[in-house]
Amino acid sequence: MHAIEAEKLTKIYKKQHLFSVSRTSGVEELSFSVKEGEIFGLLGLNGSGKTTTIKLILGLLKPTAGGVSIFGSRMPAVDVLSRVGYLPEVPYFYRYLTAAEILEFYANLSGLKDGKKLARKMLELVGLSERADKKLSEFSKGMLQRIGLAQSLLHEPRLLVYDEPVSGLDPLAVQEMRGLLLKLKTQGKTIFLSSHMISEVEKVCDRVGILVRGRLVRVLEQKEWSQNPGTLENIFVSHAGESSEMGRISL
Amino acid sequence: MKKILSIARYTFIENVRNRVFYILILFGVVIIGASLLLAALGGEQQQRILLNIGLGAIEVFALLTVSFSAVTLILEEMESKTIYLVLTRPVPRGVYLFGRYLGLAAAVYCGMAIMSVMHLGVLLLKGWNPGLKYFIAILLSAEKITIISSLALFFSLFSSSAVSSVSFTFFLWVMGHFSEELNFLANKLQLVVPKLLIKTFYYIAPNLQYYNLRDFWDVPGLSIKWLSAASAYGVAYSLVFLFLSLWLFKNREF
Repeated sequence: MHAIEAEKLTKIYKKQHLFSVSRTSGVEELSFSVKEGEIFGLLGLNGSGKTTTIKLILGLLKPTAGGVSIFGSRMPAVDVLSRVGYLPEVPYFYRYLTAAEILEFYANLSGLKDGKKLARKMLELVGLSERADKKLSEFSKGMLQRIGLAQSLLHEPRLLVYDEPVSGLDPLAVQEMRGLLLKLKTQGKTIFLSSHMISEVEKVCDRVGILVRGRLVRVLEQKEWSQNPGTLENIFVSHAGESSEMGRISL
Repeated sequence: MKKILSIARYTFIENVRNRVFYILILFGVVIIGASLLLAALGGEQQQRILLNIGLGAIEVFALLTVSFSAVTLILEEMESKTIYLVLTRPVPRGVYLFGRYLGLAAAVYCGMAIMSVMHLGVLLLKGWNPGLKYFIAILLSAEKITIISSLALFFSLFSSSAVSSVSFTFFLWVMGHFSEELNFLANKLQLVVPKLLIKTFYYIAPNLQYYNLRDFWDVPGLSIKWLSAASAYGVAYSLVFLFLSLWLFKNREF
């Protein structure tokens, strides 16, 4: 069974105006599968449909056509989400709650027993046990990212869906995140991540899908880029370069 | 059930840690304090003025809190994207919606209880014990607030604009206090279209006059039948709008 299986997945956004309806394509006819235990990266420019794909996988959006399944369950389905950990690009939390309270809250929502104990354990694992009783409104961006990681892992999911996990992180945090992703893979987790940072994707992914204007134009295996440095970048630029909505800089 | 309670608990915490909540309680306390001054001008009607202004202040506090909070209950979570990390867990949308609603209601009831204790203290200090009727009046006000919060939640999911949702909620709040007058007016009108329009409002708007015990304070012997009917009406009305909200919420995309 595949961890994720998308079949002609399509999302068209409709916007109602006074006398008309405008349609914008989010993603079109995406077909791909993610095997259990692999790290699959979705590479694309800003606005190429990466976040839309993730929202469709998680059931936050409903497909206009086609469909997607997680461990065989057609999305949107609620029960299968107990096996999924999600980290959004910018994790937003309830600023009125403390670090321990928010993790206990997510543990309860995941149906876990002893949420309080689990929350403390996770805070220790992400190096924030000293700040367990501080409100999240007092946390820095880096600390919030760690809370984001903790909430995505506390219910021991089999599938991790990370949207731009290294976006906006400092070099040290990027290195830590890379190490964590590879460690999670050795633990048997399946990871689906989106990114526009080619250098990071090629270091951790087993396979990469290139998304251009909502269409999956190519899926590459690690062996295709691992022996020749720069290959992934060249392939990506050859597909995505001409699709950018902005003109080239010609200074 | 544990998930509903978890969501209700954090919504409760979120509300009671919000500064606006305290500002509104303060507003209620100031009005109750001011009623002491006004009551001094009331001659023999002192206690009645104290009672009416106090009960009115508690209800206005609850109305303001619940209208603004219920309208932003889901909208704010959507805008801040905090809803993503809840709905990507095994949480059915109905559980989330009812949990949020219960948490908000609990916070507002808590505020009402704090203000009622203060108000009752003022009445007792003035040497007047209003007895059981006082608690029934507060309970009926709470039922009114339950109805209004379900309406506010529905409008917030229906219109997606906080301003229009608050406006609709206040409009129905006002209409709800003139239910009998609306019915009277509709029966008097001969023109079909205005008659139908007013009748529609009469049936859609909740009849909030059932819950104004201070209007019937001096009527001897409160009928249990009337109290039960008013409570059943409040529960049924709130449930209808909660289920309509759920239907809208289930079709929402994020």
